[in-house]
Amino acid sequence: MSQSIKLEVVTPERPVFSADVAEVQFPTATRGYYGILPGHTPLMTAVGDGLLYYVQDGQKHWLTVFGGFAEVGPDRVTILARESETVDMIDLERVEADRQHALKLLKEAQTEHDLASAQAALDASLIRLQAAGHPAGHGF
Amino acid sequence: MAGLQDIRRRIRSVKNTQQVTKAMKMISAVKLRKSQERLVALRPYAGKMMDVVHRVVGRIKGDSEIQPGPAAQAFLAPREEKRIRVVLVASDKGLCGGFNANVLKAATAFATETQAEIVHLDVVGKRAAEWARKRKLTATGEYLNIPLAGFQRVVTEISEGAATQYHAGEIDALYVIYNYFNSPVAQTPTVFKVFPMELDRRTESREAAEVPHLLEPDPNAVLETLLPRFVETELLRNLLESSASEHGARMAAMDKASNNAGEMIAKLTLTMNKIRQASITNQIIEIVSGANA
Repeated sequence: MSQSIKLEVVTPERPVFSADVAEVQFPTATRGYYGILPGHTPLMTAVGDGLLYYVQDGQKHWLTVFGGFAEVGPDRVTILARESETVDMIDLERVEADRQHALKLLKEAQTEHDLASAQAALDASLIRLQAAGHPAGHGF
Repeated sequence: MAGLQDIRRRIRSVKNTQQVTKAMKMISAVKLRKSQERLVALRPYAGKMMDVVHRVVGRIKGDSEIQPGPAAQAFLAPREEKRIRVVLVASDKGLCGGFNANVLKAATAFATETQAEIVHLDVVGKRAAEWARKRKLTATGEYLNIPLAGFQRVVTEISEGAATQYHAGEIDALYVIYNYFNSPVAQTPTVFKVFPMELDRRTESREAAEVPHLLEPDPNAVLETLLPRFVETELLRNLLESSASEHGARMAAMDKASNNAGEMIAKLTLTMNKIRQASITNQIIEIVSGANA
């Protein structure tokens, strides 16, 4: 049996990541986090918002994922994400600005819908900050 | 014969036009590259999405214990097409050769041939809207002057609407009529059925060889969230194909126009030189005969 998993993360905008890794953990929409090791049974599920990590050469690396689908096979994990970034792609200043903006919207929100979308924007910015190892992200 | 002055003026005017067409060609080349990049970036995603949908459907089909929900049935047992929704994609601007004419011709043919009633028509681009108006068709959704960055919003709107309509039984199928991007200089007007999707045979044979997937939380839930996303991806791909085709067509048209202008300038210059030479010859003859006398 193969000792590695081919992890592929693609979004409509670009292929984000593709490499052989030893372990993957990703957030699902309905059942919390799934950890995948080589030889996992084939599986398909919806992906939630959060942090994905993979282990490569004994090192943990992080990616952000926002929605989409995951297809798991014995030697592969394919994530079709709505949005996804590697840590390098995250622009800290912009995310911080997004967070402040989301906090402002959250205070001003009038309707249920506004509140939900502001909360989602805040969560997204916190996930990105956490991925980048920013202190503000640890409150999430 | 036209005077020297007139010809000079015409050459100048043609040169100006040539400059404009050359500039437009360059702009189209840049825009083409942008659209093409997005299209190329989307293709792996769209391909994988197609794969996943095939697998899920193949799985539901292959397992008699799973009771297919309404979304799964859309794939497994398509309803008879009585009412359909059509998305027509053309461009906002002209000067792009046969780009609009071809796709609108395909649309006209489709509208006359189809047995089903078009209950919902979306038009993307001014040319498509004009076409609908001329044929006295009501365009329920009009999307004009959409920039590349705005495609996602349009796509979400249409796919969510269409999925809801399908579940409510208001429509039986969704079609897109657009220009398929073969290469920067070749487009094919295409009528594409987004759903219900026909499954090809290769899925079934491949599926049989593999261990079946677990579908979590359950097969129908997966498919129900997957379907709108799949439709969205396909629509986005179609819009990008059309956009790349448009810029490619315009680039080709403007290239031709620049060449034609060049030819015209050469011809006019030749005529101008002939006239000038004729008048010089005339003057010499006059001087010579004057001196002889």
